[in-house]
Amino acid sequence: MEPKFNLNRPKVSDDEINKHKDFNNLVKQFKEQSIQKARSDVNFLKNKKATYATVIAGIAVVCTVTYFAVFNKKSTTKPTTNDTTTTLAQNKTQSTKTAERKAFIAPPVKKINVPYHSYKVNADKGGEITHNTKSKIKVPKNAFVNKNGQDIIGEVEIQYREMHDQADIIASGIPMTYDSAGTQYHFESAGMFDIKASHKGEEVFLKRDKPVTVDMVSRQAADSYNQYYLDTVSQKWVVIKHDTPVADKRKPPENNSTQISTIKQLKQLEQKAEHIPLKIDSVRTVYTKKIEKLPVPKQPSKPAKATPGKPKFELDVDYKEFPELSAFKSAVFEVGSENRNYSNELHEITWSSATISEGPQKGKNYILTLALRNRVEKLVVYPVLNDADFATAMSSYEKKFEDYNKLLAKKEAEELKLKQEMEAKQKAFVEEQKQLSAQALREKIILQKQQEEERNEQYPDLNNGQKVIRTFQVNNFGIYNSDCPKLMPSGGKLKVIYALNEKDVPLQPLIVYMVEHGSNKLFTYDNKSFYDLKYDTDKEYTVCVVSKGNLYIYPKDKFKEAVENKTRKLLVTPLPQGTNDVADLRRALEI
Amino acid sequence: MLKNAADMSFNPRYHHTTAQLHDEQLIIEAAKENPQYFGLLYDKYYKQIFGYVYQRMDDKETAFDVTAQVFLKALTNLHRYEFKGVPFASWLFRIAHSEVMQLFRDQKNKRAINADVGDLRNICEEVHEPFFEEYLPHIQTLIKQLPDEDLQMVEMRFFEQRPFKEIAEILNITENNAKVKMYRILERLKKSITNFKL
Repeated sequence: MEPKFNLNRPKVSDDEINKHKDFNNLVKQFKEQSIQKARSDVNFLKNKKATYATVIAGIAVVCTVTYFAVFNKKSTTKPTTNDTTTTLAQNKTQSTKTAERKAFIAPPVKKINVPYHSYKVNADKGGEITHNTKSKIKVPKNAFVNKNGQDIIGEVEIQYREMHDQADIIASGIPMTYDSAGTQYHFESAGMFDIKASHKGEEVFLKRDKPVTVDMVSRQAADSYNQYYLDTVSQKWVVIKHDTPVADKRKPPENNSTQISTIKQLKQLEQKAEHIPLKIDSVRTVYTKKIEKLPVPKQPSKPAKATPGKPKFELDVDYKEFPELSAFKSAVFEVGSENRNYSNELHEITWSSATISEGPQKGKNYILTLALRNRVEKLVVYPVLNDADFATAMSSYEKKFEDYNKLLAKKEAEELKLKQEMEAKQKAFVEEQKQLSAQALREKIILQKQQEEERNEQYPDLNNGQKVIRTFQVNNFGIYNSDCPKLMPSGGKLKVIYALNEKDVPLQPLIVYMVEHGSNKLFTYDNKSFYDLKYDTDKEYTVCVVSKGNLYIYPKDKFKEAVENKTRKLLVTPLPQGTNDVADLRRALEI
Repeated sequence: MLKNAADMSFNPRYHHTTAQLHDEQLIIEAAKENPQYFGLLYDKYYKQIFGYVYQRMDDKETAFDVTAQVFLKALTNLHRYEFKGVPFASWLFRIAHSEVMQLFRDQKNKRAINADVGDLRNICEEVHEPFFEEYLPHIQTLIKQLPDEDLQMVEMRFFEQRPFKEIAEILNITENNAKVKMYRILERLKKSITNFKL
């Protein structure tokens, strides 16, 4: 039978193709098959004959199901929630995500964006606008025309916003890569602004000879930046000129009273918290001394029997000086075998003096010093008792040892009590420290919020003494940027894929950003590069993944570990709940 | 018009750079452990596989079902897949080829040939024969009468504009072998075209 020949058959639309994609169903079928296979494997081991029958029946069922599935399936499958863009390759599937990719300026998360501030200016008179960052927008008179080139009369609305750090830039979705002679660079921004104007809802334009001047306050004081204009038609940054910053001599605003009170409270808390370790130390010192001062009972020496045949000395001992020897009354001192200088001759000499002192084993042996004129002999001797005195001495010893044990137990009980007291006090201090730290952290967050609010509302660089002014001549409304193009880091490469932390769900990025800490550098990775992250070993990076209209974070400490361990799967986490603005994003990025 | 040799030597939807092949390999390894990762490959290749299947049949719904079956087979056998330096797509196309052939063995009426007039013109130009609209039925008949293997080659080369490298990878033959086969098919076609013009 010859096949049918269709000439110029209409193509199937991408939408129709996408409608039939159902990855969830595929995984479901796969899992069912796996379970079935596992079961049949078990049965096979149990009963081969039965297994053959089951397998044949199974195949028949699968074939039947497949047959019916193939021929009865209606085109009602819904697009799966797992639909992602085909960013890995060059598949031109026109999914919605691809459309998102094509948007040149695409804020990754709709609700998190740098808002425009709206200002009114009289077109006839011009004017000077001071933005909340203290940047100034100077509008000359009669500067605006409509699309037909006619002069605008009356009030013009100017919408203006600034982007200063990586959080602003990520949120705004403004591309930050720059191609020069075939090499891709990544902009490190010293500040960027976006300006547009309208009159009665209609877009207005600037006259060629009437540029608007923008004195943008910048936090980057270096002289290594150029000014660029974003040409949204050719989708390229166009260099304007070298950007020469001028020092901003205006005085930064002082902290307001609320902030002063918070700072004061924070300082007090921090001071208190700083004192806690000292307090803990002092408790330890005091109690250690107390414990040391506890009287230590002296353990009586256990009487020892004299060894027959060993040389001995009979001595008069002052038992007040050696109380432990009280159990050894009538003791003799046996010469220890360690005395290599001993000879019988020592017994034959009438020594002018014989004294004992503590020996190397305290309470067990003694040093007997024998002297005659210039001759001095030292012997290690052991108090021992003859058989007759031993029983009496033992009974005396046992009584004394009992007393000793009682005293020792008392001492140990007191020591334990003191130790417990010390630990309780230290624990209380540790608890206090925890509370103070938590309180300080709360205050810090409050202060940070207050300062950020202040920064957002009034002054962007509250504590930055190195503030500069960067002056732009705006001939066309749009996005202007003071930038320094940077190459990708070259210290190392990390080949990765991305997954959601909680369930290890694969994540297909649209864009991946790497925020370099300690600078304002932001590296952008697209579908050709986001599996190959580059880094410098002496820098810290937070990875920010844009996927399906959400942002996911891989924090800097984890990235450091990933580099050390050559981790191949980055388990990213979504932005914390309650992330509603750029300030929240900034915190999440640890900027 | 037939795309020139340079255009047909590289298919950006199919071919990859070494880095891209390694990226893909990373995903395949992950998918072997967690089938969810297969979703990335599914999204990437769904349209291409559907296109391949639908190119060879008339019924769109059957084509969608066969495509689903191809991916299910691929996922089931993924643990057996070994990276051999060619795109994952070539493995998928081989599965698709086998599924389609199986279907045609069972139901011959499902087989269809789909081409544009331009594709047929390209064949005539390739064999240095002039093309006129009135030749169309004859050329169609010639193509319909081609053996399965030859028809596959013609479909891939002229109706899907695949480079020889890709055809070779899909059919698991050498690129040179693919070229030789194509040359011989064209020789036979040239003879047949000359015959019906006489």
